[in-house]
Amino acid sequence: MNSLLTSAVAGLSAGGAYAILGVCAIFNYRLVAVVNFTGAAIGAAGTFVMVALYEAGFPLAVDVVAGVAAGALAATLIGLVMTTWFAGSSASTKAAVTAALLVGIIAVGLRLTGGQHPHNFPEIVAGSAFRLAGVEVTRASVLTIAISVLFTVLTEMFLARTRMGLQLRALSQRPMAAELIGIRVKLLALCVWAVMGAVTSFALMVIAPLRSPDFMSISLLVVPALAAALIGAFTSFRAALVGGLMIGVIEGLASGLDAFSQYRGAIPFVVILAVLLWSQRGARWDEAR
Amino acid sequence: MKHASIKAALRTAVWLAVLAAAAALFLPKYWLFLITAVFIVGVALQSLGIVTGRTGMISLCQMSFAGVGAWVTGYLNLYEVPGGLVVWVLLGGLAAVPVGIVIGLPALRLRGINLAIVTLGFAAAFDTILATITYPGQTTFTQVVRPALFESDKGYFLFIMLVYGLIAVALEFLSRSRLGASWLAVRHSERAAAAQGISIPMAKLSAFAISAFISGISGGLLAGYLGTLVAENFNMMQSLALFAVATMVGAHFTLGAIAGGLMITLFPELLRRIGLPQDVGNVFFALGAVQALSTGETISETWARLGSKLMPARLKGQKRSTATTTLAAPAVHAKGTALEVSGLTVRYANVVALDKVELSVPSRTVVGLIGPNGAGKSTTIDAITGFLPRYEGSVRLDGRPLEGLSATARARAGVRRSWQTTRIAPELRVGEYIRLAAGGIKPGEIEAVLEWFDCPSPETLIATVDAGTRRLIDVAGVVASRPPVLLLDEPAAGQSYAEALKLGERIAAIPEKFGSAVLLIEHDMDLVRRACSAITVFDFGRKIAHGAPDAVLGSVIVQKAYMGVELEEQAA
Repeated sequence: MNSLLTSAVAGLSAGGAYAILGVCAIFNYRLVAVVNFTGAAIGAAGTFVMVALYEAGFPLAVDVVAGVAAGALAATLIGLVMTTWFAGSSASTKAAVTAALLVGIIAVGLRLTGGQHPHNFPEIVAGSAFRLAGVEVTRASVLTIAISVLFTVLTEMFLARTRMGLQLRALSQRPMAAELIGIRVKLLALCVWAVMGAVTSFALMVIAPLRSPDFMSISLLVVPALAAALIGAFTSFRAALVGGLMIGVIEGLASGLDAFSQYRGAIPFVVILAVLLWSQRGARWDEAR
Repeated sequence: MKHASIKAALRTAVWLAVLAAAAALFLPKYWLFLITAVFIVGVALQSLGIVTGRTGMISLCQMSFAGVGAWVTGYLNLYEVPGGLVVWVLLGGLAAVPVGIVIGLPALRLRGINLAIVTLGFAAAFDTILATITYPGQTTFTQVVRPALFESDKGYFLFIMLVYGLIAVALEFLSRSRLGASWLAVRHSERAAAAQGISIPMAKLSAFAISAFISGISGGLLAGYLGTLVAENFNMMQSLALFAVATMVGAHFTLGAIAGGLMITLFPELLRRIGLPQDVGNVFFALGAVQALSTGETISETWARLGSKLMPARLKGQKRSTATTTLAAPAVHAKGTALEVSGLTVRYANVVALDKVELSVPSRTVVGLIGPNGAGKSTTIDAITGFLPRYEGSVRLDGRPLEGLSATARARAGVRRSWQTTRIAPELRVGEYIRLAAGGIKPGEIEAVLEWFDCPSPETLIATVDAGTRRLIDVAGVVASRPPVLLLDEPAAGQSYAEALKLGERIAAIPEKFGSAVLLIEHDMDLVRRACSAITVFDFGRKIAHGAPDAVLGSVIVQKAYMGVELEEQAA
C-alpha cells in the first residue's frame, strides 16, 4: 500500500508538468485558436538552451532566465509563421501546420543537442519539501503544481477582468472583427505565443531531470499535454489542471505495478480515447449556411 | 462514369508496368533495391492519402498501422504459418483494420483536430508497446521468407510493383465510386454530405478502415524487404515525417504517392552523398508541408495545373455529346400532403426564431416560402431536414413523423435540400457529384438531368465551374434524386435575371417531370410568381399569410412586411 502511495506521489511532479502544458495548450487554443503540437518542443528548445549554458559554466540563475527567454523567442517565431501565413486558415489546417513543424523542430533539436547523447541536467529545485504519510514529496513536484495552479488562476483572472483579456477573447473568436475595431491583432497573438513559450520552458526545466532528457522525449510530452487539454474540452483551464495531475498520478501508479510499468507510455492514449468517446454524445455540425 | 474509371485505371496500370519493366531492365542492383523502398513507402503514402488527403482528417499514426501489419507478418513467419508472404501480408493488413476502426471511432462526430490528437496518442502508445513486446524474431535475427517466385531483389521489386499496381488501380476505381466521392464531400462539408443521405460515421470509418488495411500491407511488404525489423522502423517520428511528406506532395494522387516515396527514400541517400546529416531531410519535409498548406496546393496539384497548360487545347475542351437524351419517367410518390409542418417552434436561447408555424406542401406542387431576412425561412429548412438539435412541433413526410431521425436518415427518407452557398467539393466532377447526390442513378439519366438544367457536361471539374452554375448543379443533384419533397434555399441567388426566369420555369416543371413536391425559398418575386402554385409568408418567425401567389403578393400585410410599405400610405 505504502509503495503504491510512493509511486502515486512520484507521479505528481510529472502531473504538474502535464497540467502546465495542458493549460498552455488551452491558452493557445482559446486565445489564438491553434491546437499546438509544438508546445512541448518549444519548451524543450528553452530547456536545452539552459542546459547548454549550464554546461558552459554560467551560473544557474542566468541559464534559467536565458532558457525561458529562448523558449519565448522560439514560440514567437512559430507564432510569426502562424499569424503571417495562416491567420485565416481553418483550425484543422493550423493543427496540420504545427504537426508538420514538430517534425522539423525535433530534427533540428536532435541534431543540435547530439541526439540521445546524455546531458548534465541541473536540478533547479532539489530536495524534499515535506513528508506526506511517510512519503517524500519533492520540491520539484510542489513547484510544478504551484506554477500550474498559479498560471491557471492568473490566466482566468486576466481573461475575465482585464481589458487586454477582453481583447484577447475577441481576437480568438473573431480575428477579423477584432482587427476592424482597432485591436492590434498580430502583436497580441505574438504576446500570447511568447508567454506560452516562457511558461512551458520553465515547467520543462523543472521536470527534465526526472525524464529521459533527450530532445525528442521532451517534445513528445505534447501527448499527455493534449490529453489534459482534452479533459478540459479545450475550454476549462481548471479541468485541464486536474486532468494533467490525474494523468501524472495514474502514470506513477502504473510504474509502481510491475505488470503495467512497461506500458505506462500508453496511458495518455487511453485517457484521450475515453475522453473523446465520452464527449461526443450528440451530433455536431460544421458552421451553418 | 464506369468507362472513365476503367480508362483511368488502365492508364495507371500501363504506366506502372512500363516503369517496372524499364527499372528492372536498366537499373543496377543497388538502385533497384532503393527503388523497391520507394514503392513500399508509396503504399504507406497512399493509405495516408485516403484519410488525410481525401477525407480531410489528420492521421499521425500511419506507421503504427504499418507496424501492426509488419508485426503480424513477422509473427506468422516465425511460426511458419502456411501460405507464405502473400497470405501473411494480407492477414497483417486485415489485423490493422480493427485497430484503425477503434482509433477512428472517437472522430466520428467530432472534427479533424481530435483525430490528430488521438492518432498521435496512439503512435506514442504503440511505440512503448512495441519497445516492450519487441518485433517477432528481432532477437533471434529470423529473416522473413520471401515468396519463392520473387526471392531475388529484382524479383521482390517486381512483386512490390505488382502489389503497388493492384492497390493503385483499386484506389482509382474507389476514388471515382460513390464512396470515394462521399469522402471528398465529408471533407468539404459534413452538413452537405449528410443532406445527401451520406452516413458521416460510415464514410469516416470506411476511410479509416481501408487506410489502416493498406498501411498494414505496407508494413508487411517492408518486413519482406528488410528481412528483420526493429521497433524504430515504425516509431512516431516516422509517422510524423510521413504525414509531412503526404501533406507536401498530395498523397491521394498516384503521382504524389510515388513522388513522396522518392523523397523519403532518396533524399537521405542524396544527403549522405553530399556529406550532410540525413535528418536534415525531415526539416525539408516540414518546410515543404508548411509551404503546401499555406498555398493550399500540393506538389501534385501544381504539376497537374502546369501540365494542363502544356496540354493541347483540343484535349481540354470536353464537348457535350450531341446525342439527345431524354429524362426517365417521373417518380411516383404518395398522393395527398407530401410535407406537413405543424406547430413548429425553434428557440435559440431567448430568441424565438420560429413561433408555432404551420406549413404544408401537397404532393407534386411547388409551394413558395417567402419573407424578409430573419423571418425564419432557412431555420424552417434546417428543422425539417434535421440539422437543429431541438425543436417543438411536428414534421411529417407523407404522413409519417420525422422526429427522432438524423439528418442523414431524413434525406434517405426523401426530404432533400439545397444550400444557400455552394457546398460542392471542388475536386469532384459534375457527373460524380450528381451520382453522389442521387445514389443509384443511371449514367444516361445524369446526362439528361444536366442537359435539362443547362449544366456543364459530366466530365467537367467542379473547380472550373463558376459559382452561379455550381448552385444550379446543387439543385440538379437534389432534383435528380427524385425525392417526395425537395427544399430549395434561394436557388436563384447569383443568377442573372434572365437565368432566374428560366430557372423559375424549370422549377415549376419539376413536379411534372420528376414527380417531386417543392418548397421554394426565394427573394426573386418574378421567379416565385412563375414557379409556385401557392405561397406561404413568414415574418419574425410567424406565418402571416398563405394562399394563391397573386392574392398573397397583393395583400396589404405581406407588402408591409416585405417592402415596408405603410398601411396608411396604402389606404391613401
